[in-house]
Amino acid sequence: MMRALAAALLVWSGAAAAAPTRVVSLNLCTDELVLLLAAPGQLASISFLGADSNETALAPRARGLPTNNGRLDSVVALAPDLVFTGGGSDRYARELAIRLKLHVVDVPPPQNIADIRRNIASVANALGRDAAGTALIAQFDTALGPTPAATRSALLLGGGGTTAGADGVGAQLLRHAGLMQQDVPAGQVSLEQLLAEPPQVIVQTKYRSSQASLGQSWLQHPALRSLPPTTRTITVDGRPWTCMGPLVAPEIARLRARLQ
Amino acid sequence: MTRLNLSLAALALLLATASLCSDPAGMLALWQRSPEAARAILIELRLPRALLALAIGGSLGLTGAAMQGLLRNPLASPDVLGPSTGAALGAVIVAYTFGIAGTLAMALGGIGGSLAALGLLLLLSRGGASTATLLLAGVAISALGGALTNLALSLAPSPYALYDVLFWLLGSLADRSLLHVAVALPPLLIGCALVLSGRRGLDALALGEDVAASLGVDVARLRLRIVVGTALAVGAGVAVAGSIGFIGLVVPHLVRPRVGGRPGAALMPSALAGAALLCAADLVVRLPVAGHDLKLGVVTALIGAPFFLWLIVRQREVIEP
Repeated sequence: MMRALAAALLVWSGAAAAAPTRVVSLNLCTDELVLLLAAPGQLASISFLGADSNETALAPRARGLPTNNGRLDSVVALAPDLVFTGGGSDRYARELAIRLKLHVVDVPPPQNIADIRRNIASVANALGRDAAGTALIAQFDTALGPTPAATRSALLLGGGGTTAGADGVGAQLLRHAGLMQQDVPAGQVSLEQLLAEPPQVIVQTKYRSSQASLGQSWLQHPALRSLPPTTRTITVDGRPWTCMGPLVAPEIARLRARLQ
Repeated sequence: MTRLNLSLAALALLLATASLCSDPAGMLALWQRSPEAARAILIELRLPRALLALAIGGSLGLTGAAMQGLLRNPLASPDVLGPSTGAALGAVIVAYTFGIAGTLAMALGGIGGSLAALGLLLLLSRGGASTATLLLAGVAISALGGALTNLALSLAPSPYALYDVLFWLLGSLADRSLLHVAVALPPLLIGCALVLSGRRGLDALALGEDVAASLGVDVARLRLRIVVGTALAVGAGVAVAGSIGFIGLVVPHLVRPRVGGRPGAALMPSALAGAALLCAADLVVRLPVAGHDLKLGVVTALIGAPFFLWLIVRQREVIEP
């Protein structure tokens, strides 16, 4: 109900006001959305992560755009007419936004696949780019494809054994590649668990794999060589899983293609 | 070997065996289903885990007892005086500033950081600083090391370095490999041997520096030997298992009353009791608590911090009649 009301308000305000021309995004996940949806010249600043090719494949599109550090006070001087935040901001930032009469649109992290579409639509609407939003959602759905009937057990695996919840949006996305995410408590798998109950498919992300870290060393543990031959490891880009936004659909499509 | 040493060694070995054999039913079932996986779990995960628990727990107990003997103060220990935070700083700089997260590089960084922290402490102790001054200086060095570690992580190329290291800093022996054992054990054992070689000197030092000198103990050399040994042992241990607090502080106090209060005689039993205690703590962290893994440093701190408080209160009673 509240969501519908908010959406209706957004539609109304979007229709009433002219399209914003000094748009600021403070979060990697909203960076991706505005880089895909905004018209040329609409963007005034995105977060520094949105311009980092370690984080998003859209970084080349951000070339030349000013970056911010993700905090509201760092962009006030740009006099933005629209600010995107990803999943709420702290109380101080909210009060600052009210005092300065800034138009802030919050884009919460998706809890399910419908949320991904809803986020695309709400950002497109706030930008006055509804048509671009509709097109991106159609593209997203095409890439995501239907849920195949046959499923294999799988584990999304990042550095240090980080993985996805069995009922979260990550698991729902994997289902579109015909994969059923294993239930691992606390979002982290130990090598012992992995060896005792190996999945049929390990979806290993390449996220920041070139940077030395303890998490990356974990992925090179010699015990992983003892995984049974029935377990297949597929390496994926990994970057789209941070936000699980529109870019995750092509990642799923690539994964599905490699599994067939 | 005394009876105390024998029984402590037996206890440590028993706990290490329990660590190897935890969940026997599950392991047996896995052995029938997939012997290769069961073998890998036993040899490549649980064996290094048990060996590291014994070695690192032992080195913490030993160096704690040695530092308390050297400074003649019951509050001295590697995690209070700076070598542990120094080691963490050294390992973090090597891994996250220079981007070499190899086990050997981190161990060298840990030993270097630990040596630097203790070297600074020794430098401050020149000219006969009081033990209270040394303890305070150690606390300050420790705080500085912690702050510099966070700074190094904040300045690291990866924005998630801090998150990556957080769990490591809390201490863990999970998912270590035989490579970790091969890299950490040599410096750790050499360090422990150096510290142990100072046991006679520490006993003499308990009677005062002048008495020790008249007994033929070269106090400056003894100090150097213990500091270098501690840096080697703690540096290698922290680089592999993160910061595990309170073992070095608590264990010597448990042991000392049983050896007539002689700091030199307390070294070996402190090492064995430290090994047993860390093995026990590592068994506790594997108990499933609502599906979450506990962290080793958290468990040792939960045991150690109340003990530390009790120690301070009891000390006050001794000081204030």
